[in-house]
Amino acid sequence: MLIDLTRCIGCDACTLACKQENGTPYDTFFARVLNVEAGTYPDVKRVYIPVLCNHCDDAPCLKSCPNKAIVRRPDGIVLVDQDRCRGTGACVSACPYGNIILHREEEGWYLDENEAYEKDFVKLRMKENVARKCTYCAHRVDQGLQPACVVACPTTARIFGDLEDPESDVSTYIEEQKEQTGRSPFHLLPEAETKPAGCYLGTMAEQRPSTLGQSDGIGDAKQEEAQRTQRGQK
Amino acid sequence: MATRHKVPGRAPTVAPNEKARVVRTTDSPNCTGACGWLATVVDDVIVDLKPAADYPCQEYNPRGCLRGMSMTHIIYGPDRVHKPLIRAGERGENKWREVGWDEVLDYIADHMKRISKDHGPESMLLFNQVVGTGYVQKGAQVRAAALLGMSFATAYDFNGDISMGFTQTVGIDCVECETRSWAHCKTAILWSSNIFQTRIPDAKFLTTHAKQRNNCQIISIDPRASQTAKGADLWLPVNPGTDGALALSMCQVVLKEGHVDWAFLQKFSDVCTLIRQDTGERLRASDVGEGTEAEFMVWDEGKDALYKLPMDSLKLPEDAKFAFRGQRTVQLSDGAKVSVTPVFELLENEILRDEYAPEHVAKTCDIPADTIRQVAIRYATERPSSIIIGMGVNHRLHGDLTIRAILLLASLVGAHGKPGESVSIYSGQHHFRLDVSPWWFPDGKRPNGVPMHYFVLGQPTGTMNPKIKFPKDGFKALFVSHANPLVTEFSAPMKDAIDRLDLFVVTDFSMTPTCEYADVVLPAPTFWEKLDLVGTSCHPYLQIQQEVVKPQYESRTEMWVQKELLKRIDPELAKQMDYTEEDAIEIMLKGGGKEVEGITLEMLQKGPVRLNVHDPECGLDEQLHEDKLFPPRAYPFPEGAQREFLKTGRMEFYKEEEIYQKMGETVPTYHWAFEHLPVSAQEMPLAIVTPHSKWRVHSTHCNNPFLRNLNRKPVVEINPKDAAMRGIKDGEAVEVFNEFGSYELWALVTEAIKPGVVCVDHGWWDRYLGAGKYHSVHTYQKVKPTHEVYYLPAVYAPGQHWKDTRVDIRRVK
Ligand code: SF4
Ligand code: SF4
Ligand code: SF4
Repeated sequence: MLIDLTRCIGCDACTLACKQENGTPYDTFFARVLNVEAGTYPDVKRVYIPVLCNHCDDAPCLKSCPNKAIVRRPDGIVLVDQDRCRGTGACVSACPYGNIILHREEEGWYLDENEAYEKDFVKLRMKENVARKCTYCAHRVDQGLQPACVVACPTTARIFGDLEDPESDVSTYIEEQKEQTGRSPFHLLPEAETKPAGCYLGTMAEQRPSTLGQSDGIGDAKQEEAQRTQRGQK
Repeated sequence: MATRHKVPGRAPTVAPNEKARVVRTTDSPNCTGACGWLATVVDDVIVDLKPAADYPCQEYNPRGCLRGMSMTHIIYGPDRVHKPLIRAGERGENKWREVGWDEVLDYIADHMKRISKDHGPESMLLFNQVVGTGYVQKGAQVRAAALLGMSFATAYDFNGDISMGFTQTVGIDCVECETRSWAHCKTAILWSSNIFQTRIPDAKFLTTHAKQRNNCQIISIDPRASQTAKGADLWLPVNPGTDGALALSMCQVVLKEGHVDWAFLQKFSDVCTLIRQDTGERLRASDVGEGTEAEFMVWDEGKDALYKLPMDSLKLPEDAKFAFRGQRTVQLSDGAKVSVTPVFELLENEILRDEYAPEHVAKTCDIPADTIRQVAIRYATERPSSIIIGMGVNHRLHGDLTIRAILLLASLVGAHGKPGESVSIYSGQHHFRLDVSPWWFPDGKRPNGVPMHYFVLGQPTGTMNPKIKFPKDGFKALFVSHANPLVTEFSAPMKDAIDRLDLFVVTDFSMTPTCEYADVVLPAPTFWEKLDLVGTSCHPYLQIQQEVVKPQYESRTEMWVQKELLKRIDPELAKQMDYTEEDAIEIMLKGGGKEVEGITLEMLQKGPVRLNVHDPECGLDEQLHEDKLFPPRAYPFPEGAQREFLKTGRMEFYKEEEIYQKMGETVPTYHWAFEHLPVSAQEMPLAIVTPHSKWRVHSTHCNNPFLRNLNRKPVVEINPKDAAMRGIKDGEAVEVFNEFGSYELWALVTEAIKPGVVCVDHGWWDRYLGAGKYHSVHTYQKVKPTHEVYYLPAVYAPGQHWKDTRVDIRRVK
């Protein structure tokens, strides 16, 4: 999955779409959005970084599991087998991204316990006290559908597909963006060397956000020219 | 796709495809986004929601947001009102008797009959929220009120969402382009508008479409680096309440730098009309014996003579060359001579004042003069340019002046009416997309319109418009539906007004703080449990809201309740309510006007149908493209109803009425937002802004357990400088206070807000606060006399000034 950070507006629709699809309990979020503020007033920037399991090619979580409960499907999706997991928790510490969730306390839920929505449709889905994480909505993918967070993203910032298939949505998007905006995908924490399948596109070259027009975000021709010379001199 | 699968193990289970049905519906809370959704229903339980993504215009897909995605947790949520309730203790004590529908309807009907007999039906007031989000059900309430002769207060003006600056200038309270039009922008100014949170489904048109395709520069004017500032190329942290000065300064820049679009002004605005020095009013054709009082004169420089502006079309002769400047003397038909000046010269005199020079305004607004110049010039030259206005500008006593100045800026450079060129204010779904009158107003009978302000004040102001009929004995009963006025900034005086009532009935699906104060609570279905017709100004699609599941628990539709009530009050009148929802939709489609010509219920049942409007809709299309006189028609009022407050039929930058002259507001000018407060209030060190939260639609979803899991407690955003001065640390409990009151919540110390400003998301229910009442610090109710010269409900009516509040903060010990 590729996430275009320029498109993302930090709206959390993905987070909630995941919860709606996967019926996760209280405090369990497979798809999160980090809301980062940087700088000092008035030179402040905001960044949103949606995070979820990266379905790493070389997944430390998988290697760490003593029960062999974590598997990587031929299509690359990494899954925790609920039936084999014993809640050991080794994977939780092994994942450098903090993407595996294991609650050992009693599960918290949202609705009145008699509400059919949770009682009959949600709670049955998951075993308690086992490790859980994003599945790339494998059950949807198997039906030829896109993951829930992808179809819910109102800005189409999330692009899903097979990175190895040059015809897939994600490969075409990467190519197109390389050509049009000169951007190439990157991974979070490359130093972890997990070969993540989840990747990101950053801001566009010409985007130079600023406050008060004091830096170089906007301006008349003269100012832009001055900047060009400045950059040339550097 | 209903998630009936086990969380995948080695081999995911196949979908258990039992009896699932998928329903296409529309979410229509007060965000007015009107997004299409697919709900999967199994055993009459909604088990999944996904965006429908079926808009014929692909760019709109998908629409939806986190709140729509969490609707299941409102529908099945913990605060649902299950049964009708009658108060068993004192008001607000939260002691109830659960009753059946027959009992509660008899109870209400008996009271209504008595009140109507003793005090007249107009002493009973209906206040239902954003009628535009449900033409049928909310319409049924208005229809019943009309039949009974009750009073009706439009929520839109009481909310302050009414944008009087628009009404004063273009004759209608708001103008919007369809959001797809943003995709064409090269410059977009978000003037206190936080679209990343408030227009989540639409933000992509700027961030993806306009930016990626057009390299659009997004400029955010806001005292806080709002979520939208993330996508902005330039953030201008303006001093709160000084936006008017900024707009006028930008006007000065474009004027001085010669970026004025004279042809646009001559044709579409009043700037060439002549103002008489003796009366301060416009020179009419009748003054000089050339026609009627409803026709206006300009000076044609080509012919060196007076010229009468056409009043059937905006079209002007090719060689029209009207005077923009110059005092002239004209002879009136009675022989007297008066001196007249074109409006433009008066505007220019105002705009060019030193006070609005960028160097001067820089201090007022705390924005560097060069930046003001750059932004103004960019707006004028890097076209298409749009401005989107947010409520931080409008929810102020002098918000009308600021908006008039912004509209003037756009008109000076002619940035209206093209794709990517407009001034829009998405202030509410007030704008009906069709004429709802045939359903709402049986045989043309309308309820007695009264602005809610006068209900809250308990009496008319001395300047109240004489058209308004305030009930002779005051108000005795209030019916609130799907509104939460005790969680708005003016709840304190609202409560006092409620205390004067004999009967207070609230209809809602959640047990809101307003319900808790009621005499009777009627359980309503959510907008996923009843059939309705929905329009929005965000996009031009008309949609059906379906009864996805039947009304849950013991809730009943508004339609059903009104029928049953009328049967009890007056069986004869009840016959006029004997319609189904489908009938109501068909009645509205048939008599709804040209926008819905050819659209049938059948077509709507299949999916969203585009209205017969311009493509893309840019706002003011009929005026700018078809030369139709201003104003655009405000449904559900008849053609011509707005003429009295836009007499020239053009954008008016000069208001001639006596009160405008008296208050010095004939042309857009600047007043410091807090100037009208008592000195003690002005001296409070911090301005407070109360933006919409992404976790809620106003106060709806405040109690949504799904969303509360992420948005755990109310915070006040405060700059580290202000926090340090008060010894406040991040996360600490603090108290926001002023002379009116106080409440407690938690500090979020952040660099993303301007020093001197604090921010609390609006719509928190009091129960989530540390202590106190959210609304208790907000300033008192006040009506601006210029808003009372005319009255057309929700079009020309008093606005609101929630944001003109100042506070201080201290640690809770
Ligand atoms: S839904 Fe899309 S835009 Fe919204 S936070 Fe997630 S990735 Fe970003
Ligand atoms: S992101 Fe973490 S949980 Fe996901 S595959 Fe990689 S190591 Fe495992
Ligand atoms: S809450 Fe508003 S924006 Fe969100 S899905 Fe519903 S209609 Fe759309």
